[in-house]
Amino acid sequence: MLKWMKTGSVKGTGLLLAIAVLLALAGCSSTQKAADSENTQGAGQTEGGNTKTITHEMGETEIEGTPKKIVALELSFVDSLNTLGIDAAGIADDEKKEMIAKLVGKETDYTSVGTREQPNLEVISSLQPDLIIADAERHKNVYEDLQKIAPTIVLKSRESTYQENLDAFSTIAQAVGKEEEAKTRLAEHEKTIEETKAKLKADPNATILPAVVRDTSFQAHTSSSYDGELLEHLGFKNAIQQEEPYAEMNLEQLVEIDPDILLLANNDGKLITDEWKNNPLWKNLKAVKNGQVYDVDRDLWTRFRGVASAEAIGADMLKMLGENK
Amino acid sequence: MNRASKQKVTTYLTALIGTILLLIGIVLSISVGAADIKAQTVLHSFIQWDESKEQVIIRTLRLPRAVIGVLVGASLAVAGALMQAITKNALASPQVFGVNAGASLFVVSSLVLFPGLSSASLVYAAFLGAALGGVIVYSFASGGGMTPVKLALAGMAVHFFLSSLTQGVVLFSDQGKDALYWMVGAINGKSWTHVELILPWSLGGLILAAALSRSISILVLGESLAQGLGQKVTQIRILSGLLVIVLAGSSVAVAGPVGFVGLIVPHIVKKLVGGDYRRIIPFSALFGALLVVYADILSRFIAYPFESPVGIVTALIGAPFFLYLAKQGRGIKQ
Amino acid sequence: MRISEQTTLNKKRRPLVLLFILTGLLLLLSAVSLGVGAVYISPLDIIADLAGTGASSHAFILHEYRLPRLYIAMIAGAGLAIAGAVLQGILRNPLASPDVIGVTKGAGLAAVIVIVLFPESPVFWLPVSAFLGASAAAAALMLFAHKNGVKPATLALIGIALGAIFQAGIEYFMIKFPDDVNSTLLWLAGSLWGRGWEQVWMLLPSVPFAIALWLLSAKLDILNLGDDLATGLGQKTKQLRYVLLSLSVIIIGMCVAAIGSIGFIGLIAPHVARKLTGSRHKFLLPVSALIGALFLLGADSLGRGLFPPIEIPAGIVTAVIGAPYFLYLLRREGKKA
Repeated sequence: MLKWMKTGSVKGTGLLLAIAVLLALAGCSSTQKAADSENTQGAGQTEGGNTKTITHEMGETEIEGTPKKIVALELSFVDSLNTLGIDAAGIADDEKKEMIAKLVGKETDYTSVGTREQPNLEVISSLQPDLIIADAERHKNVYEDLQKIAPTIVLKSRESTYQENLDAFSTIAQAVGKEEEAKTRLAEHEKTIEETKAKLKADPNATILPAVVRDTSFQAHTSSSYDGELLEHLGFKNAIQQEEPYAEMNLEQLVEIDPDILLLANNDGKLITDEWKNNPLWKNLKAVKNGQVYDVDRDLWTRFRGVASAEAIGADMLKMLGENK
Repeated sequence: MNRASKQKVTTYLTALIGTILLLIGIVLSISVGAADIKAQTVLHSFIQWDESKEQVIIRTLRLPRAVIGVLVGASLAVAGALMQAITKNALASPQVFGVNAGASLFVVSSLVLFPGLSSASLVYAAFLGAALGGVIVYSFASGGGMTPVKLALAGMAVHFFLSSLTQGVVLFSDQGKDALYWMVGAINGKSWTHVELILPWSLGGLILAAALSRSISILVLGESLAQGLGQKVTQIRILSGLLVIVLAGSSVAVAGPVGFVGLIVPHIVKKLVGGDYRRIIPFSALFGALLVVYADILSRFIAYPFESPVGIVTALIGAPFFLYLAKQGRGIKQ
Repeated sequence: MRISEQTTLNKKRRPLVLLFILTGLLLLLSAVSLGVGAVYISPLDIIADLAGTGASSHAFILHEYRLPRLYIAMIAGAGLAIAGAVLQGILRNPLASPDVIGVTKGAGLAAVIVIVLFPESPVFWLPVSAFLGASAAAAALMLFAHKNGVKPATLALIGIALGAIFQAGIEYFMIKFPDDVNSTLLWLAGSLWGRGWEQVWMLLPSVPFAIALWLLSAKLDILNLGDDLATGLGQKTKQLRYVLLSLSVIIIGMCVAAIGSIGFIGLIAPHVARKLTGSRHKFLLPVSALIGALFLLGADSLGRGLFPPIEIPAGIVTAVIGAPYFLYLLRREGKKA
């Protein structure tokens, strides 16, 4: 038995080695081919004519011609493209078509490329896009992979401030060759925001607090959060002025902060505030006493982020608070 | 005789000091927070109610929070003591043996699958999950012949499996992500509703555990001896197992898996009052409450003025203690 | 319970035949895996593309994503399985695994720190820090265990305790920085998404270490006899454990650096292997490696093909598949005891 085992093991070793060698060879040859196919892909597109260089969060990217097929990996990029009159060909939509329909205001024909966290590279590459717009936080690890598929620009969306978001809009406009439109649109946006601000005429002494409410937690959005900052632009002073964008709170802290206006962004289902509403402390909140508590859409207020969405938030405010003359 | 009376004195002294510390802790817990409330106001509020903001905060927010802290701490510590007794394993505890992880998995899954579920039904989900974790380990442990180390490894592996399943649920749903904070074990923002939810279970469990403590003490001496003394060994084991599920399950349902309380408290208690479970169980309840109440006070300073879950603090205290136990070789010899 | 000597005697299946069968299965699964995903590629196209004669549009997907992922799954799956088998040997316990002794948690904590505290750091920091975290965890493990003579039981317990400490740290950072929770969770779950040739090259250096372990497999058998007997046979058990542990940790570190902390492969693959071929490490290690490769490759293909375009991280698939098997296993162990 021992003897048999010995020969067996020798053969086994040989076999394993053979497999290892085979695998290694296959690996080498296929990288070679990958490089080849990349070359041919690149060569097909040079006829476009003018080339421009876009500077973004992870360097510079050259874009030839005007991109037609565009893949957007964050919601604010979809908003930007939509504002510029472009339908994205591929969207990382977390498989929520209805959310995208809400964002662009109509049913559009696009291919889902999976989740925003892990967009499906295979699907993106099979779309053969001319441009990919990726998020600086979520997608920095796959930047090089995306760059191999198509020219990719990386912009701040998920962790962006209001201003960075507008800058990203300009960069996208530059990439798709619609700089003029974007300038006009941004000027218009500024005007809309100013007008909304004038109409809302917020009391400079009043404070506002937007928060995401879930069934087990209450997360305040401070002056550094996207919606907090936008509200500041609309003339509303955030009740929590700090560098950290979010703060986990309980009812007691809410009582301490006691904002004049309370905006609750939530999904359907049970909420922690349902229970708070039975507490006398809740009833004594300034916002509650003055009827200044509003439920807002969590998608629009905290997820979409873009030129049009910002205006929609402004319109929301007008609708809820009314014109202040 | 002399030794026994000395032991008695130590026990009474420990009980006295523990109770005083717990009372101080509760007063501190009630006075420390976002709204600054003086200790006098706290004490005053026990004597005379009024409708000032401070008193309403104390009555509707801080007091239930402190009570939850006491109940969760006592329940988890006693659950740990029971587990250490029936598995004869110094490392047994709801955390290490996957009971907490099982309850978490079931609670998080129910939150995701049935978003409208009432808090009361969550308790039952937690019981089921705790039972799953507990039964796996118990069926493994009851065969005998397993060394504590093997049991600990098995428990830890069960824990890993259950918690990675929970992780999967969390990763693939928005509600799951919302549950993340809860998953570390938090008692802030709890109200009287939660107290009502946990009180019958944990109080009932604690009383039963105390009633069972004599039998458990005998059981620990050895099964054959216990049998000889007329103890129904199997029944005691099963009853203890059920108590663990009730105590740990209801705690997790309300506060999330607050870790390591069940591991470290019984050890400290054994050091203080000796190896008799008639003393270990009530003292575990006392010191478990003490630990969670003080840990909860500490947790308010991690991200002051905002809240952090108490489970972070118990884990940061408990994990190094676990290492200390392991280094002592506590799990190796019985 | 020594790792089932009985099974060693009972299993007379020929290791060579077994290796052949497993290799065949692996090749078959590889072929399937290359075809499965958001974009289906037919076997003919795959062959044509691999031979270089195909002009299909799928060549890019095949070469850029599926092939590297295939290799990563094979190498990492095999590596984790071998490391797991060796750990189970060192600790003389069938329930030991890279997850349980705290090494992957150490890597996880280091990775979480990089993700939340240094979000601007260059991409390659993440794998480097994960590797360092795993090494630091192993160093701590050996340091603490050293005084107690590196007994298997102490090693196991201290590993669990260290793992708990790292876990506490991970939770602390996740609560402190809720914004980064998603990327953190994804990394912790372990996934082959977005991994490419770079990770293949990152994993290749683990192969010589795996071979070194295989060459030492006879010593593992002696360790399994117990310390007294092993010492009697002239083995320096303490040093031997250090060497074996270090080699395994290097492999684990590389795997975790490349694909995140994928669990359960190192636990389950050696078990299946032991059932198939017995506990002699000379055969156990290669069989474990093949099963580990099969397991991870299968998990990744499933995660990719189940709900396209959404990808389920391989780590979650391994947990879902692994859990029932593990429960079954525990029951059996319980009965035997």
